[in-house]
Amino acid sequence: MTKIWLTLIWLLAFLPWQAQAELVIEITGGTEAALPIAIVPFGNTGFAPPEDISHVISNDLARSGRFAPLPQQDLISQPHEKAQINFQDWRLLRSEGLLVGKVDSIDGETYQVQFQLFDVYKAQQLVGKRYQVPASGLRRLAHQIADEVYQALTGEVGVFSTRLAFVTAIKNVDGTKRFALQVSDSDGANPRTVLQSKQPIMSPNWSPDGERLTYVSFENGNAEVFIQEMTSGRRNSVAAFKGLNSAPSWSPDGKKLALTLSKAGNPEIYVLELATGNLARVTHNSQAIDTEAVWMPNGNELVFTSDRGGRPQIYKVPAIGGKAERLTFEGSYNASPDISPDGQMMTMVHVQNGKFYIAVQDLTTGAVHVLTDTGRDESPSFAPNGRMILYATEQKGKGVLAAVSVDGRIHQRLGESGSEVREPAWSPIRK
Amino acid sequence: MKTSWIETIIAGSYALILHIILLALFVIGMESQTPPKLVSQPKVDIVQATVMDEAAILQEVAKQQQLENEKRRLEQERQQQLDKKLAETQQELARTEQEFLDQQQRAELEQKQLELEKQQQQEKIAKLEQERKLQEQKTREAEQHRKQEEEKKQQAEQQRKAEEQRTLEAEQARKIEEEKKQQAEQQRRAEEEKRKLAEADRKAEEQRKAEAEKARKLEEEKKRQAEEARKEEEKRKAEQERKAKIAEADRLLQESLAAEQQEQEERRVAGVVDQYSLMIKQRVKRYWIRPGSAETGLQVTLRVSLLPGGDVKQVTVIKSSGNSVFDRSAESAVYKAAPLPQPTDPKAAAALRDFQFIFKPE
Repeated sequence: MTKIWLTLIWLLAFLPWQAQAELVIEITGGTEAALPIAIVPFGNTGFAPPEDISHVISNDLARSGRFAPLPQQDLISQPHEKAQINFQDWRLLRSEGLLVGKVDSIDGETYQVQFQLFDVYKAQQLVGKRYQVPASGLRRLAHQIADEVYQALTGEVGVFSTRLAFVTAIKNVDGTKRFALQVSDSDGANPRTVLQSKQPIMSPNWSPDGERLTYVSFENGNAEVFIQEMTSGRRNSVAAFKGLNSAPSWSPDGKKLALTLSKAGNPEIYVLELATGNLARVTHNSQAIDTEAVWMPNGNELVFTSDRGGRPQIYKVPAIGGKAERLTFEGSYNASPDISPDGQMMTMVHVQNGKFYIAVQDLTTGAVHVLTDTGRDESPSFAPNGRMILYATEQKGKGVLAAVSVDGRIHQRLGESGSEVREPAWSPIRK
Repeated sequence: MKTSWIETIIAGSYALILHIILLALFVIGMESQTPPKLVSQPKVDIVQATVMDEAAILQEVAKQQQLENEKRRLEQERQQQLDKKLAETQQELARTEQEFLDQQQRAELEQKQLELEKQQQQEKIAKLEQERKLQEQKTREAEQHRKQEEEKKQQAEQQRKAEEQRTLEAEQARKIEEEKKQQAEQQRRAEEEKRKLAEADRKAEEQRKAEAEKARKLEEEKKRQAEEARKEEEKRKAEQERKAKIAEADRLLQESLAAEQQEQEERRVAGVVDQYSLMIKQRVKRYWIRPGSAETGLQVTLRVSLLPGGDVKQVTVIKSSGNSVFDRSAESAVYKAAPLPQPTDPKAAAALRDFQFIFKPE
């Protein structure tokens, strides 16, 4: 009997606590604002690095739109390792992360780089790594560290160490143009020319492994599709049919290319099996132009532009051919689609009032969201993590690279090449 | 007044008498004596007095007095005149009388001297005789006196003896009496003793009785007190019962009131808690930077412990979303939102000291 009572009393004693513990506050939504992050300039001993690593990282993160690096002057102190950090100070700044690091070199050739990312509130290291790179690799390493930070804090794969491919056109003094296929870092910096031609180069597209590029070159007087290996520079023609050979797009498995060929008289969508050279026609609409096909991530469908409805619109069709399904209904002109890596979103050129904008469409809901406002935007291409869209636009009468976050909040100008830039393509993440 | 009148009259009379005497002497001296003749007799006025009122009387008296005084004065004056004349006359008379007396005396003295010498002789003889006789008488008388004295002595002896006898008897009687007295005294004392004893007995009895009475009374008092105490106890018990009943009723009322009050208080606290929960929610939500990768369906449950000022003491993931970034975004949101709004009401604050957060992208 006593025991029962004691038990009851014991339970009663815990009632308030239980009642108190039952209070639950539910928070839904939240914002997708940029995460505040404190990036402390890396410490340095020995030779000074040719690249400001923390600066590169900071720019990368800021450009992504997902981070808001604290202004330098707001940094309370300049720690370079955990022992030097007073977390309480950083908490006051309400930064989500704190990145510190060191760059040391004893010979100016090889650099030892280490970084540590901390959760300020838990005073915990989230990620920390040490590298040894040649001076030339410092910039690349900075992008990699940015990727680490990005991934640690967003849970997504960072794309800062990816590359961009784009075509530049330089007007010669004699009025002729010189075309170049260039590859740069993801921030547009550090461009390298992989192909130069007096004839137009168009539609570069990355192989899924990022080792190769396919593009259209008019070098032989006709639109011809090439594949070029990035490391060796070796290239070969894969489609030089009569008529138009354009808009190559690598299948997700890297084994096929989707192409637009007019060898049958009318531009149609074909799939080329690279290993065998087998060509399969996908579209059969002789009355309309079908072009700019891209693969759905599942590799089973193609999304392309067609004016079969009278005006250019975007359609989806099985890669093995079949009935095409129209995807875009908003606006009189939608073209140049690209599909996000997760297959959820589509970006495209969207015309409103005769002006060309970059828009995204939710493939599930069909909702369209216009992201840009310059009116002369073209060739949108998803970043491999799907968060950003790279596109070409015109600034002061000149084609430039720009990027916009999928939510349209972040707009970035990329690169500072003095040339006309068009048709950019974002490389996949290097495995 | 009367007296005065009388005196006046008397005085007047004396004066008159003297005059007469003088005249007589004068006559005698010169001629033979003649019987005095009554010349005048003053009449005595009898005043008829009537009773009047006192004032009048006094007045009257005063008047009378005055009148009398006047009269008296006149009388006195007259009397003085008379006296003077009388004195002069007397003087004269005295002188004359003296002369006469001196002559008479001398003659008489001579006569007398002779007679006296004879008489003296006779007397001497007589005297001697008488002395002898007296001596005899004396001797006789002395004998008689002696006999008488002897008789007296015998009588005295007898008397003394009788007296002695009497004294003896008296002594005896006295002794007897004394004895008697002693006996009486003894008896008295015995009696007294007895009486005292009786008295003591009586007193003892009385005492006993008194004590018994006292004891009885005490007993009674005790009984009464006991009874009173019993009654008191009964009353107390009744009162206690009554009070207990009231207290019970009161307690029940208080309990129900307290329960109601508690309920009310709980409602109030719940209201405050709700309000602050909302504030906390809004604040944390503002600081929550949801990862862009957050898929719908993610949900993390945190346990948050606050410090009194609303600062975050501890945040623990009690049910992970499976996405560490999502989880951390929620944790960071709580930390960044600190200090969280805290009610001043201690109960509500206590309820908001430890609570759970559920973070959902939508």
